[in-house]
Amino acid sequence: MIEIKDLHKSYKMGSNSLHVLKGINFKVEEGELVAIMGSSGSGKSTLLNILGMLDSADSGEYTLDGVPIKNLSETKAAQYRNKFLGFIFQSFNLINYKSALENVALPLYYQKVPRKERQEKAMKYLERVGLKPWADHLPSELSGGQKQRVAIARAMAGEPKVLLADEPTGALDSKTSYEVMDLIQKINDDGNTILVVTHEEDIAHMCKRIVHLKDGVIVEDKKIEQVRAEQYV
Amino acid sequence: MFDRDIWQEIFNTLKTNKLRTFLTGFSVGWAIFILVMLLASVNGMQNGFVSQFNDDATNSIFVRPGTTSKAYGGFEAGRRIQLKNEDLEYIKQSFPNDIEYISARYYANATARYKSETGSYSVHATHPDHQAIEKTLVVAGRYINEADVINKAKVAVIGRKVAEDLFKNEDPLGKFVEFNGLPFRVIGVFTDDGDDNAERRVYAPVSTYQRIYGNTNDINIIALTYNPTYDLTKALEFSERLEILMKRRHKIDPDDQAGLYVWNYAEAFDNISSFTAVLKGIGIGVGFLILIAGIVGIGNIMVFTIKERTKEIGVRKALGARPRQIVNLVLLESVFITAISGFVGLLFAWVILAAVGPMIQTPAFSNPSVNLSTVVTATIILIIAGVLAGLLPAMKAANVKPIVALSDK
Ligand SMILES: Nc1ncnc2c1ncn2[C@@H]1O[C@H](COP(=O)(O)OP(=O)(O)O)[C@@H](O)[C@H]1O
Ligand SMILES: [Mg+2]
Repeated sequence: MIEIKDLHKSYKMGSNSLHVLKGINFKVEEGELVAIMGSSGSGKSTLLNILGMLDSADSGEYTLDGVPIKNLSETKAAQYRNKFLGFIFQSFNLINYKSALENVALPLYYQKVPRKERQEKAMKYLERVGLKPWADHLPSELSGGQKQRVAIARAMAGEPKVLLADEPTGALDSKTSYEVMDLIQKINDDGNTILVVTHEEDIAHMCKRIVHLKDGVIVEDKKIEQVRAEQYV
Repeated sequence: MFDRDIWQEIFNTLKTNKLRTFLTGFSVGWAIFILVMLLASVNGMQNGFVSQFNDDATNSIFVRPGTTSKAYGGFEAGRRIQLKNEDLEYIKQSFPNDIEYISARYYANATARYKSETGSYSVHATHPDHQAIEKTLVVAGRYINEADVINKAKVAVIGRKVAEDLFKNEDPLGKFVEFNGLPFRVIGVFTDDGDDNAERRVYAPVSTYQRIYGNTNDINIIALTYNPTYDLTKALEFSERLEILMKRRHKIDPDDQAGLYVWNYAEAFDNISSFTAVLKGIGIGVGFLILIAGIVGIGNIMVFTIKERTKEIGVRKALGARPRQIVNLVLLESVFITAISGFVGLLFAWVILAAVGPMIQTPAFSNPSVNLSTVVTATIILIIAGVLAGLLPAMKAANVKPIVALSDK
């Protein structure tokens, strides 16, 4: 599903240049649930941004679902993001004046799905994350865990190939974090490919594979026995 | 464009920035208000001019003799030109298709007396056609007719003021009034709206006065109207021909402007039109300058809101919003604020003009008003203004990197 080869990325800051990714190679198959671990500043978000076509690498190859991702125009990148990817952010990034339902429907809007169909689909995904009764509520009326569930529903609404989550539990207490991980596991059980960036061991162990980043390279990449989050909920 | 989501977003931004929206909207509304008021004023001025001139038929031409300023055809400069009855006949026969009405005018002054009342009035001795040329409104009795001219009848058509002065409450029709001691029968009374002085005037047959003043056939002015189907070019071309012919007849240098004047109403009207066009231009110019200030204001505010919404725009882009869609959103918002504010300004101007306009009726200014074309023009201007105001902010928004949405700082 995802294949990257010798990926390099550095940030220029004045005359200095910060080499963040120093040759990353890895492959993600369909249906995987991968944790990307590493200490703060190790380049996890940078990697995820490149995978999400929000940023571009300096060199290296990136193929997503057989499509080479290279020199994309803004418009093309937007189209690919819309079609291939779903994003889940640490701070949820819901649009505060739109109801839960409208937030979930937004990727469908950019897919030019007709309004009625959009609403129905969005409702289906809200139901999936257990928030159907909250459809008409604004984000400000929801708890942190609920917000993240809305965000997950939104990420899934466009039916992307890959879900990218950057510290999805970073802003949540541990109980709520497990609820969110439980949801992510269940979505993965349905066959969705998910990448989760985290620096928390327990969250990482709820995935099926851990990729460890350090000083811009992958120092460890191992399959693990998944810890089910359900038992902590 | 008629997408509910887009409108929802626009209303939301406006709602969260009420004061700012109001203040910027005000600047554009104010600009349009001033623009419309200026245009309406120019309009009022034009109306004023037109109504002043409307006293005469709009297709009239006056031929007035002068004193030559150039030697020509064996004559010295400084020769006084005198028009005669023959000139009138000559013009009539030379331009049978060009002329609608034609009349001589002979000026005199009369000390009038009826019973114990006296007054001094100017007399215009004319032909019957003069009524149509000067648009004289006879409210009682009749105007001078052909028979009066042929018979050199001592009859008079007097102005309303003259009738009031001399006859008080009596009906003047059929009464005899003395002009310089000669009895004239009053055959009609006329009014002239817009000009009180015109009502202190007396019309009499031209032939009558020519006989009184020593059996002359002198006339002071020839007044005529040209064929009403003529447009401005044809009218000007005709008065040109008329002038050439009359100058040749009186042996005046064709370039001598002092020897003979042919005054064409159409020409004067054309001058006024270009004068008001200049005023209109100035009005539009000033309005535009103010509008530019409004556009800058709106652009400024929008840049600010875009800055505040950077994260939201980033999220949208991460979810698949194309740069074009973001640009459209910002432009539509800009056009919306601009158009609404502009229309409020327009409405205000319109209400004020509708209330006050009809009350303003001075000779030089009457009924300033907004017409449909002003509204249409204003709408087009506003939409363009909105696009201009939104252009820079829209570009800024389109350049927002979605990466900012991911960085939780
Ligand atoms: N836009 C940027 N410009 C400059 N430096 C950056 C930028 N984004 C990240 N960095 C730097 O790159 C390094 C890796 O950042 P990041 O990928 O966000 O790490 P992580 O997500 O693992 O904490 C950090 O040292 C960070 O300061
Ligand atoms: Mg990070």
